Amino acid sequence: MVKVSLRNITKRFGKVVAADHITLDIQDGEFFTFLGPSGCGKTTTLRLIAGLEIPDEGRVYFDDVDVTDWPSYKRGVGMVFQNYALWPHMTVFDNVAYGLKIRKVPQSEIKSRVKEVLELVRLEGLEDRYPHQLSGGQQQRVALARALVVEPKLLLLDEPLSNLDAKLRIEMREELKELQKRLGITTIYVTHDQEEAMVLSDRIAIMNNGRVEQVGTPQEVYRRPSNLFVATFIGRTSVLEGVVTAIGDFVEVKIGDIKVKGLAINEVSVGDKVYVVLRPHDFSVRKEEEEVNMLEGVVEWMAFTGGLLEARIGISGGKILVTLDDEVPASMGKKLRVFVPWRNVIILKA
Amino acid sequence: MKEQLISKSRLREIKKSLDPLIAFQYIFSYFYLFLFLLLPIATIIQQAFLYNGAFSLHWFQKVFSDPDFFSLSPRGGMFFELHGDTMYIWGIDHGYILNSLMVAATVTISASIIGVIAALIIARYDFPGKNVFRILILIPMLATPFVNAYVIGKFFQPRGGLLNFIFYDVLHILPWRIDVNGLAGIALAQTLAFYPIVYLNVLASLMTMDPTMEEQAESLGAGGLKLFRTITLPLSMPGLAAGATIVFIFSLEDLGAPIGFIGYSGNPLARRVMSVYVFDDFAAAVTGAISPITSAIAVILVTFAVTGFLAIKKYVTLKTYATLSKGGRWKPRTRKLGFKGTALVYPFFILLILSASIPQIGVVILALTDWAISGLAPKSITFEYISRLFTDPNVVRAISNSLLYSGAAVLLAVILGSCSTYVIARSKLPGTDALDSLLTMPIAVPGIVVAVGYFLFFTGFFRGTILDPLVDPALLLIFAYSVRRLPFTARSVFAGLQGVHESLEEVATTLGATRFKSFFDIVIPLIVANVIGGGILTFVYSMSEVSTSVTLGALREDRGPITFYISQVIYGTAAVGTVSVAAALCLLLITVQVIALAVSNYILKQRVAFLGI
Repeated sequence: MVKVSLRNITKRFGKVVAADHITLDIQDGEFFTFLGPSGCGKTTTLRLIAGLEIPDEGRVYFDDVDVTDWPSYKRGVGMVFQNYALWPHMTVFDNVAYGLKIRKVPQSEIKSRVKEVLELVRLEGLEDRYPHQLSGGQQQRVALARALVVEPKLLLLDEPLSNLDAKLRIEMREELKELQKRLGITTIYVTHDQEEAMVLSDRIAIMNNGRVEQVGTPQEVYRRPSNLFVATFIGRTSVLEGVVTAIGDFVEVKIGDIKVKGLAINEVSVGDKVYVVLRPHDFSVRKEEEEVNMLEGVVEWMAFTGGLLEARIGISGGKILVTLDDEVPASMGKKLRVFVPWRNVIILKA
Repeated sequence: MKEQLISKSRLREIKKSLDPLIAFQYIFSYFYLFLFLLLPIATIIQQAFLYNGAFSLHWFQKVFSDPDFFSLSPRGGMFFELHGDTMYIWGIDHGYILNSLMVAATVTISASIIGVIAALIIARYDFPGKNVFRILILIPMLATPFVNAYVIGKFFQPRGGLLNFIFYDVLHILPWRIDVNGLAGIALAQTLAFYPIVYLNVLASLMTMDPTMEEQAESLGAGGLKLFRTITLPLSMPGLAAGATIVFIFSLEDLGAPIGFIGYSGNPLARRVMSVYVFDDFAAAVTGAISPITSAIAVILVTFAVTGFLAIKKYVTLKTYATLSKGGRWKPRTRKLGFKGTALVYPFFILLILSASIPQIGVVILALTDWAISGLAPKSITFEYISRLFTDPNVVRAISNSLLYSGAAVLLAVILGSCSTYVIARSKLPGTDALDSLLTMPIAVPGIVVAVGYFLFFTGFFRGTILDPLVDPALLLIFAYSVRRLPFTARSVFAGLQGVHESLEEVATTLGATRFKSFFDIVIPLIVANVIGGGILTFVYSMSEVSTSVTLGALREDRGPITFYISQVIYGTAAVGTVSVAAALCLLLITVQVIALAVSNYILKQRVAFLGI
């Protein structure tokens, strides 16, 4: 397996900077995800690693070997494209066997290896089908088998689940994770679906406008987002603006007429303008521990979403979105008091 | 600093694009197009601007000061003149240049009007029999080189012509006999032959138009003519502009109609167009030289044609064409035509199709009966002329020449078309846009200009070699066909490439395949239908190619293809043969064409086949 290092990678398409001085390391055997909105440059970064694009600046290393100028066909990576890119004129067998034929593997070995990999992705018996005779999930697995059969050092997956329906997507996601752990193959994954990224990844790089905004474990990017973009892109949030009034174990922020305690991600000092990021799921109606913030306001909008109650509450200094137990006695236009533990309140320098 | 960085990355991009396959394709495409398209034309330009070894406008001054070429005052002719019981509609002579322009303008306007009306009706209305009309309206596209004008002449002949016989002698509807000939005859024959080009292009525009465009306008209160003028017509402008311009160019370069009229009646006015001037001078070229005046005329022809082409370039490039030919993303808006509407539409189509099909009907009758010698109407059916296709050694030779040239041309066009379109579709090399233009440009370059250019260039630089047309024109005919009919193959292949997602090749390269390997393993198998479809069209239109066939082909009689043979018969200089044999040859061309189009439409499912020119 292989460790991938990007050093100062930059790629422009005309005036658009698709990758903007990206530097990061992907560890041997790691499941690493580039996550970001469409057009953020995550696919370009993946293609730079695959050798399908060459960077304008910067270098790409596989295990400290500079591969920047290596053409794609020499890099020995396996790649699954968003549209699967199955060759419509070849059967499942021929699609999967292609890479082995290129490598001049003997015919008998090709047969056994294709059989093996098709079992691995649970497609045994479909060798003679053509891609158009397969379901979306099956096509996705053929694409995966085709990438895996050549035993690549590195597996690159470009939104491989985005063309599947919701239920299948969750199934495939679990299979994929399990397979990756079993094979121990370094895997780089690209997606715009933050839940998918959270479930699958060891670490996530959040991208925006060609830049990597933050790299971290799923917990880190969720609980300790390094800036407002990451905070609002991962999970649902309410963002309030305030001014720092005190600093101690926690940071105290004045928002409108009220004061909220929270955890500062960046260095702040008294008087700084800050953003206060609140996640709906962190709220409750009961005061459970001592160090909590209490917020009170009128319910402006509410909806039941099956077991849960979503509500928007207008408080002094802004509006907050909360998700509560649906047994909470709340009604439109009535006042509601909610609590949030201060450790879950994210404070970011404005 | 920034500038430099960008150009440096551009260089790396180019370096990456230049793998051996792309490099070969790129160089081959440009080499071929330079040698067989650009350099020959450049040689004409050089000769036209050279006088006593120096740059000069001498030949152009000579041409424009000679009333024979350019005269604002009329130099004779008859236009709606009544003599005795006959109305003569021949046209007025203003010299070769103005005559050609007037004919081309007339043909463009009338073909546009007919084409737009026909396309609108077909695209927007439903009525019984619509699909029959849809097919019949394309009949004029079937090749009947030279014989078409001959047949029209025969129909319009004042005495003994079928039309005059029916409408004057029998029905007494016409107050006089009508004689359409000369420039007017050419314009009529060309209009009837070329309106389907406008029709097809406008129809394509109308069919690909998002129906909500019109529906939105209607919901805002625009209807009828207002809707047509403000929404429908502007949105179908690309099709109309492309179709009309191509008709203009085709009319300028057409030899078939003038030679047909010359052959039928010897009418002097039918000679007075630029294409015939060049053709006549070419006949003297066997002695080894083409006059600089002819070069000047060729430059004028190519200037008009290329200007027209540049004006519509953005509508006819491969990229545009590929989007246009997809079509059918939505169901076009149609509405049922009422009784009154149907009562108007039927006579329009029946009259149009009947008159436009006169050449094709005439060809069938000429080929299968004794009409050529029986006078007014055919008296008996005969297969004599058809059998001559297999027995007359001269005819057999012409057929086998055509088959050989066209087959070889298809092979070259397929290789060139695949190479060049792949470079355009996949590489980021500089000059790919220019290559796109070059691939489409042969539509605009008059064949007669190609012929003159080949003659000057290859007799000048390859004298005495196998490429010298005076030694043997066969190879040059093959190259001329391959370049002139290249757009058919190029467009078809490019459309195919558009359908092959780049990721299909990329995944092959990640699996270890070089570009060369993935091109043959992945790309070629996936576009093979497009390659064959385009090749078929190139074949068909090579078989019926006129301009270079009757000029270069005339340089050695035993090398002449089918159309050369037909022109000899019609022009009246063939030693043996009657017009009926020419008609039988046309019938052969038509058969080839119908089979080929059927194959590409129904077997290969290529919608592209019939679309545009």
